[in-house]
Amino acid sequence: MTVKWIGKRTMIGVVTLLIVSFLSFFIMQSAPGDSASAFYGGNAQTLNNAEKERINQVFALDRPLISQYGAWLNETIKGNLGFSYKEGRPVATILMERLPNTLILFGVSLLFIISGSLWLGVSAGMKPDSLLERSLATISVMSSAVPPFWIGILFISFFSVKLGILPSSGSADIAGNGGLVDKLRHLIMPALVIIITHVGIYARFLQESVKAESRNYYVTVARANGVAERTIQKGIVRNAIFPYLNYLGMTIPSFFGGSIIIESLFSWSGLGQLMVKSVATKDFPLLMGGILLTGVIVIMTLIIIDFIMYVLNPRLRRGAYIK
Amino acid sequence: MKTSKVLVFWCITLGLIIFMTIFSQFLSPYSPNDMNLDEVYQPPGQNHLLGTDHLGRDVVSRLLEGGKVTLFVAGFSVLLSLVIGVIYGGISGYIGGIVDTIMMRILEALLTIPSLIIIMAFQMFLQSDMWSMALILGITSWLTTARIVRSEFIRLKDLEFVKMANMLGTPILKILFGHLLRNSIPAIFIVTLFGFASAIFMEVSLGFLGIGVPPEIPSWGNMLYDAQNDILVGAWWIGLFPGILIFITILAINFIGDGLRSPKRRRLGA
Repeated sequence: MTVKWIGKRTMIGVVTLLIVSFLSFFIMQSAPGDSASAFYGGNAQTLNNAEKERINQVFALDRPLISQYGAWLNETIKGNLGFSYKEGRPVATILMERLPNTLILFGVSLLFIISGSLWLGVSAGMKPDSLLERSLATISVMSSAVPPFWIGILFISFFSVKLGILPSSGSADIAGNGGLVDKLRHLIMPALVIIITHVGIYARFLQESVKAESRNYYVTVARANGVAERTIQKGIVRNAIFPYLNYLGMTIPSFFGGSIIIESLFSWSGLGQLMVKSVATKDFPLLMGGILLTGVIVIMTLIIIDFIMYVLNPRLRRGAYIK
Repeated sequence: MKTSKVLVFWCITLGLIIFMTIFSQFLSPYSPNDMNLDEVYQPPGQNHLLGTDHLGRDVVSRLLEGGKVTLFVAGFSVLLSLVIGVIYGGISGYIGGIVDTIMMRILEALLTIPSLIIIMAFQMFLQSDMWSMALILGITSWLTTARIVRSEFIRLKDLEFVKMANMLGTPILKILFGHLLRNSIPAIFIVTLFGFASAIFMEVSLGFLGIGVPPEIPSWGNMLYDAQNDILVGAWWIGLFPGILIFITILAINFIGDGLRSPKRRRLGA
């Protein structure tokens, strides 16, 4: 039964990925920028037509679109994402170099956001009209109104320029040995910026959900029957967590988009920074690969969240069984 | 009572910002693109209220003019996304069945791609000026609106008065606009308001990445892009003030949306 559910969920994910790939491919294709001149780089104007044709032939750019897409998809499934126009190296290799950094930033900030918002949201939601609850409402609206990269700029100006205690950019020291401490020092500011600007919204959402749940009849009845407060709270949190997880899933894509900007600001050498660069250099295969990989990460995260919900919620399990 | 006072306060704040940016020509002390290389990196002071940037341009004037650009781009894109979202969501919600399922699958797939990436891809080949910027933002931000419109339509179409109207042979167009759309206006309004805030956010982010409106047009995002380098020479005022203005604008919109939403949140299901 669980296997069936996972299979179904994965199918949906695959279909979504297909749409994503289709979309990214055709956006790239409708770009008027000439791939041959992009490939040639700075000396593009010295390129004559015969040369252009030759390049187009080498890269199979003269074939019809749909067969290009088919060929691309076929190769992609085999794990071959093509070669970067700019670097000449396989796209998959370049992406794999960048992936760990992105996952570290994404994972660390998400971990702190989830644990922070769980703690804040539950403790605020359990005490209606307390100072904590009211201030959380205000702070969450305020923190969601600040552009994260602006906080980043202020952080750089304070911690790097003024105090000089944290590095302003990069993901490792050039002179450093790439050890853990070095990485952590570079990680602090980008992660902190993302956490600060996101934890409030999620905490607020959970708090609202806890509050709504505590108004339910079963809570009153349990309380009247003298059920221990701890048990009641456990029950409330268990039920309130689903809308929260749902919301988390819904906002993962925009969360990921936000981390692209943060990566660029701090020159954190991850996927986001890579994609911004590849837009500037018109490096189609690299950008397409990046978009696809981003899609995979987002969909995997969504599947994991769905799976957690599935495990926690017996109703979902039964629903899957009936189908 | 308290909520409405807060609401009025934020409405006035937002109104003031919009007013000042629209009439920036009359309010700003200098022309926003006037360079004065004798007065680069002037800290806030008498001649220049909020200082000057790396080309000696007055920060106040650029803030007001830049606000006009940013708010215009955001406003136009939100209108566009409103139109697309209402049409898409309306069709999906009204027809229902297999069409609805397919349209929602596509929508969900689109929702999983961070919109910033799509915008970056578009930005690569469209002539970048204010209009194309607004166009791109509009094309990529209608998803939430469509979702809300769809759920509103589905909810409304099963209500008794719509069923009644159908039975009495009211023309479809009248049902669509007079009944369904009209009753979804509160929900659509709020989602549009938040859409406006996120459009401002997007414009600023793109400008900041250096792929927004062209650098010669002042906008809040472009000012922050310049500020990245200026901050390293210690010119904090160039980055600080646009940020504060963006913050206040988005804060005002969020509080207005929040205030409008909270008493009837249940009903709107937003």
